[in-house]
Amino acid sequence: MKTKIIYAFLLLPFLIFAQERTITGKVTSSNGEPIPAVNVLIKNTTNGVTTDFDGIYSIKTAQNDVLVFSYVGFQTKEITVGLNNVINVVLDQSNEQLDEVVVIGYGKMNVKDLTSSITTIKSEEISKTPTGSAMQALQGKVAGLQVVSSGEPGNSPTIRVRGVGSYPGSGSTSPLYVVDGMFFDNIDFLNTSDITSISVLKDASAAAIYGVKAANGVVLIQTKSGAFNQKTEISYDGYTGVQVAQNVLKMANAEQFTTMALESGSAADISFIANAMQRFGRSRINPNVPNVNTDWYKEILRPATIQNHNIGVSGGTENASYSLGVNYFTQEGILDMKNQYERFNLRSKVDLKATDWLTIGGNMILSNATKYNEASSAWNDAYFAVPIMPVYDDANTAAWPINFASAQSIGYRGGQNPFPGMNFNNNRSKIRKVLANFYMKIDLIPEKFSFKTTYSHSFSSINNRNVELPYYLTDGFQRPISSVTKRDETFSNQIWDNVLTYTNKFGKHNVTVMAGTSFRDDSWNMLTARGEDIASIKHEQSWYIHQAGTINTDSVDDDGSRQYGFSYFGRLAYNYNGKYLFYGTMRADGTSKYQEKWGYFPTVGIGWVVTSEDFMKNNKVVNYLKLRASWGQLGNSNVPASDGANTTSVVDTAINDVLVSGTIASSTFSSLKWELTEETNVGLTSRFFDNRLSIDADYFIRDTKNAVIPVSFPLIGGGVNKAVGSIRNSGFELALNWNNKISDDLSYSFGGNLSTLDNKVTDLYGQPYLDGGSAEFRQRSYVGESLLAFYGREVIGVYQNDQQIQADPVAVANGLEPGDLIYKDQNNDGLIDENDRVILGSFLPSFTYGFNFGITYKDFEFSTSMMGQSGNKILNRKRGELIWTSDGNLDADLAINRWHGEGTSNSYPSSAGLRKGWNQKMSNYFVEDGSFFRIKNIQVAYNIKKGKQWFDTNLPDIRISLTAENPFTFFKYNGFNPEVANGIDTQMYPIPAVYTLGINIKI
Amino acid sequence: MKYINYFKKLTTIFTILLVGVSCNNKLDELAENRSFTGDTDYSQTSDMVLPLMGAYTEFYARGWEDFPLISVRGDDVNSGGLGDQQDYAETDKFNYNKDYWMYNSVWQNLYADILTMHSTMEQIELYKDNGGDVTKANQYIAEAKTMRAYLLFQLSRVWGDVFITTSSDPSDLLIASPSTKDEVMQHISDQMDEAIPNLPDMRPNERIDVPGGVTKYTALAIKALANLELKNYQGVADATSQIISSGKFMLDPDYYNLFKIPGKLDDENLLELQYSDFGQGAGTNKSYLFAFFGPDGWTPSIAGANGGWGFYEPSLKYIKFMLDRGETTRLETSVLFTDRGITELKSDPNYATLPTWISNTTRDGDVINDFAREMFVSGKHYLPSNQLTPGRTDYGTNKNFICIRYAEILLMHAEALTQGASGSGMSADQAVNEVRSRAGLAPLSSGVTNAQVMDEKFAELGMEWGTRFYDMVRLGNFNELSYGGRTFTEDKKYLPYPQAQVDKLPVLGNN
Repeated sequence: MKTKIIYAFLLLPFLIFAQERTITGKVTSSNGEPIPAVNVLIKNTTNGVTTDFDGIYSIKTAQNDVLVFSYVGFQTKEITVGLNNVINVVLDQSNEQLDEVVVIGYGKMNVKDLTSSITTIKSEEISKTPTGSAMQALQGKVAGLQVVSSGEPGNSPTIRVRGVGSYPGSGSTSPLYVVDGMFFDNIDFLNTSDITSISVLKDASAAAIYGVKAANGVVLIQTKSGAFNQKTEISYDGYTGVQVAQNVLKMANAEQFTTMALESGSAADISFIANAMQRFGRSRINPNVPNVNTDWYKEILRPATIQNHNIGVSGGTENASYSLGVNYFTQEGILDMKNQYERFNLRSKVDLKATDWLTIGGNMILSNATKYNEASSAWNDAYFAVPIMPVYDDANTAAWPINFASAQSIGYRGGQNPFPGMNFNNNRSKIRKVLANFYMKIDLIPEKFSFKTTYSHSFSSINNRNVELPYYLTDGFQRPISSVTKRDETFSNQIWDNVLTYTNKFGKHNVTVMAGTSFRDDSWNMLTARGEDIASIKHEQSWYIHQAGTINTDSVDDDGSRQYGFSYFGRLAYNYNGKYLFYGTMRADGTSKYQEKWGYFPTVGIGWVVTSEDFMKNNKVVNYLKLRASWGQLGNSNVPASDGANTTSVVDTAINDVLVSGTIASSTFSSLKWELTEETNVGLTSRFFDNRLSIDADYFIRDTKNAVIPVSFPLIGGGVNKAVGSIRNSGFELALNWNNKISDDLSYSFGGNLSTLDNKVTDLYGQPYLDGGSAEFRQRSYVGESLLAFYGREVIGVYQNDQQIQADPVAVANGLEPGDLIYKDQNNDGLIDENDRVILGSFLPSFTYGFNFGITYKDFEFSTSMMGQSGNKILNRKRGELIWTSDGNLDADLAINRWHGEGTSNSYPSSAGLRKGWNQKMSNYFVEDGSFFRIKNIQVAYNIKKGKQWFDTNLPDIRISLTAENPFTFFKYNGFNPEVANGIDTQMYPIPAVYTLGINIKI
Repeated sequence: MKYINYFKKLTTIFTILLVGVSCNNKLDELAENRSFTGDTDYSQTSDMVLPLMGAYTEFYARGWEDFPLISVRGDDVNSGGLGDQQDYAETDKFNYNKDYWMYNSVWQNLYADILTMHSTMEQIELYKDNGGDVTKANQYIAEAKTMRAYLLFQLSRVWGDVFITTSSDPSDLLIASPSTKDEVMQHISDQMDEAIPNLPDMRPNERIDVPGGVTKYTALAIKALANLELKNYQGVADATSQIISSGKFMLDPDYYNLFKIPGKLDDENLLELQYSDFGQGAGTNKSYLFAFFGPDGWTPSIAGANGGWGFYEPSLKYIKFMLDRGETTRLETSVLFTDRGITELKSDPNYATLPTWISNTTRDGDVINDFAREMFVSGKHYLPSNQLTPGRTDYGTNKNFICIRYAEILLMHAEALTQGASGSGMSADQAVNEVRSRAGLAPLSSGVTNAQVMDEKFAELGMEWGTRFYDMVRLGNFNELSYGGRTFTEDKKYLPYPQAQVDKLPVLGNN
């Protein structure tokens, strides 16, 4: 009897344990912070809950159930339900990068399953750079991405992913920007504080899913969103700062200029100096120099302010998540005139779980910007304006409304003064954009099979008003009649995507299949007109064509375009136990733009996670090693639309003082399709030393087939574009990051990236080369050499004395003098002519690199990033202007280092020589080394953690930072700025250094 | 229940997909804002004049570099523009550079317009085939033919052996060879023979439909010019005789204003490029870039009028030649003086005293100041500031550009006759004396020699279209061209083919 009772009691626990119980607990991270929204799942079932705001969960389980705790950014933990009803869990931070989910085209994928080359930059890095243009923040941070800055406020930088694959002039080379699924050509409406992450899809296997738009690279941008079950967070982000021009080019001063003029042997130039002395007096320091010494660049530059204020609110309940933001950004330009960029943005993103199988959401961005464009000729004018002329000239009494000086008063051909261009022009653009995107997601089988349909519409309107105000300085430097030109453009682009996704796991096999369609409708309209002679021009309210005395009927024009695209695409991602990876996509793109409608773009990629193999397990050094390779094809639809047939244009002319119209039919037409780019990429992703060191390396070969090249016509010049060329870009990319936490108070990180680029033209449709650039500054694309390489003579020295001249038959034959350049006779035929030209270098850098370093100590943070490039050449086109007119100023380097006697220079000609045709030929005298090294960003920040007391109030999270952007740039080039996108330096907006003070408050 | 749910979801999805797929046919839409030539309705014969107007538009729209390159090499004119366009100055001195952008640009400008003329003729043929007025169509085709001939004429004078085009498609030239200059000139003469019967028999300014356009006499003039190059003096005389015998043309008694606004569509003009500002001080303006010829510093009588770039300087040789002949109105019209230039003239002891009317102030009150780029300004390309429409400031706005005028016809006639040809309408003496009397000079006694005719041509046609240079080359009179430090040799007759053209058409490299 007693035994029975004991057995009964023994059984009781089993009975108790076999029942359902409720387990509760708290999930925290390793520093004690609770983690909300952690998934708590019963293994092998679909039962699960999530932790609430305080990290607490409560779940009904049975004995021996295994609870799986998982959350993004943390290592998943599995705990078997035991005797305790309370299970508290501490989750460790995971390899931040590898366990993450990254957004790829039309879906998401785990970073560790990727076989493609994708680099992602997070918002903390992006917000370090104070700029109105988000891509500027990526400069020097992504291997293989060349960002060429643009200094004018409101302008976007030039972006190149893995070299240049298209012949310049055959369409836009900007990459495709995908912002939350919407396609854009430029993202000037986005503020850096709105962005969560930017991913650059570098190789074909990542980008091919975007088919015909992907050949110039794809940049995926995620804007900030809320999350389900997230406590509301209000944050304020702002900075204010000043921009100061850097590396201002020194121009010759009055004394150097006078010396040059006297040595030039040009009676005209010497007489102008005399005129200046007569008009303005002689200098007290040197009586042979006029009493005026104007530093034009100093006159036209000013420090300018920059400000950004952003307020964001985000959060979520169980069924809804939201993120809203308001942003105001303003940036003045450093040119001393009204030029600035001001932008106001409103952003909202809402996601709703309408039912358990239906999720809907909407996203809207409203951007309203006003941009006052600079008078870009001012930079050119300031370069050439002679220093012997002042800014204002009191003696010029006939001038109105302001008595600026005109170089014509002292005999020069042009007025030269940059100020009239700056003061008497008003060029304003109002840029308004509304971008809306709505989606509906249906879960057919939860977690496994879903359908998503998305509709996006982006609508922009750009209203430009360009007003020319009248003035008079001298007869050849005047504008007697005012004018107003208006140009209105609207863009309306729609995209409708439908995507079916299926994910499942069969034992160790993980499969994701995606199939979808996309329909695109892009339209553009433009209307422009110009009116002249507005009576009350002084008042801005009269700047309308309606107020103009005459409307230039020739100027009234309209234009438009409408293009459609339709695509089918699909993807298969497979991995075997996370060890062997396979990836493939296929896209069929149809477009109305070209005569050949359809293109097919497949891609495949494979990967092998070596560290998941048995022989690599428990390796202390190598934590993660994945080898990957991919091949894919992409299309480039930025090639301009081709007519496909002859077209007729309307022209007009004067017959007996009457305007008569006529037509001209073209006898040639272009018939094009997109360019096809084929890319092979091999690479590895690895982590070492407890995930402290990460190394990513890639080698790629990218061929653009059917590159659109101009096939020029004999006789009539010009040419037609034919998609028959072939260009190759190949290179090596390496990204290295090391971060280490020495103690709870101190941690540091540094990283670097470098990439090489070899750009080559491989086929030109039988033509041995293509000429580009201009006749005086020839650029030539030879098969086997870089695209549009500079092509000219090679200077090997300067003739120093008469003996040298007499000894050289070439010098005697051409009547040269000491001070003239010596060219190399490349073909040894005893003549120096156009057959002695060689490739002088390319405008594309062959080597780019970047470093960053950061250290955090307690509440202080310090970080710096640097970047540089080498191997590119710049054509100093400004020095070349002498060919047409010797009337202007020269840079100080040339003025000081000119040849002016035996032995004074072996690379620059004499002042008289500068005016001779012999020395004006395209040669490496004009082509300079464009390498540079820049300290791009230095930031010091101080964090005040939430809860700290300050005058008895609890402070929220505050971060105060001081940032210097572009403080130092080192380069040898004789110009303002070594960042010249196409290598030809004509008038560059100097890139200013920006110093800001920023505050970030999180409530 | 689950299956109904499933079904509902799938139906939603498929409907969406179906609608999406039907958008496929949008891919076939054509590009916007295009007028496809294939869509032209050629039965609309009233539209037949449009291609002709297009041809005139292209003919009148000349690049500023065309005329200077064609005309600068003679002993009547220097390049001017000291310090600017070095290679142009060298061209004037017979040092040619085949890589100079100007050679390539002029070549391309002329050929592009020639192909446009072909395109015009092809379009009008289509109208003709579709029921258009045959007579009108033939006339329009003849007009385009004439303009094409003039352009080809200039091309061949400058480069010698050039391509004779046959259609508007430039790729036809890839397999062609250039024809010799004589072949080109003969081709031009034959083309004019084809065109003449279809062209209106009147003066250009008598035309109602296209006032100032091409007529039968334009074609005859071009035929005469071509035959002159061929030294087929009889051919010249035949053509000039017809023009003279028609009695339609006359020399404008006001030589000075012939080249200015009053001279637009003058009775003396056989071919001119037309421009206009439509009488408005602002707004649409079709003009030639006369600024090339304008003084680089002047004080105009109407303040605010712009000067120009200071190129194209009448030579000292020409001025001295004119002074020797006692020329007044022709010298005044052809040359504007600066004080610096006058001083330079006077420094030559033979010209220490100049006629009192020579000064730096023109008869219309514009003062030409001293400037470095040149000493004298071309008067035939000068528009007085008081002839500008009020409100316009660019030099030469509203002025036309004369290509062929009756004086040249008369002198060509005289030249042919003195070379042994026989003509009608006028004798050589009468022709030369008619030109002289308009210029206020005493008539020559009977029996003018060829040398006297050539001198008369020098005086009358100085600075116009390089006539002097091509005349001297044709007559082998190289000594005249070797002036002011220059040396002309026979191999310098033609400019070298532009390097860019040789690169594309290797057959040119063999010449």
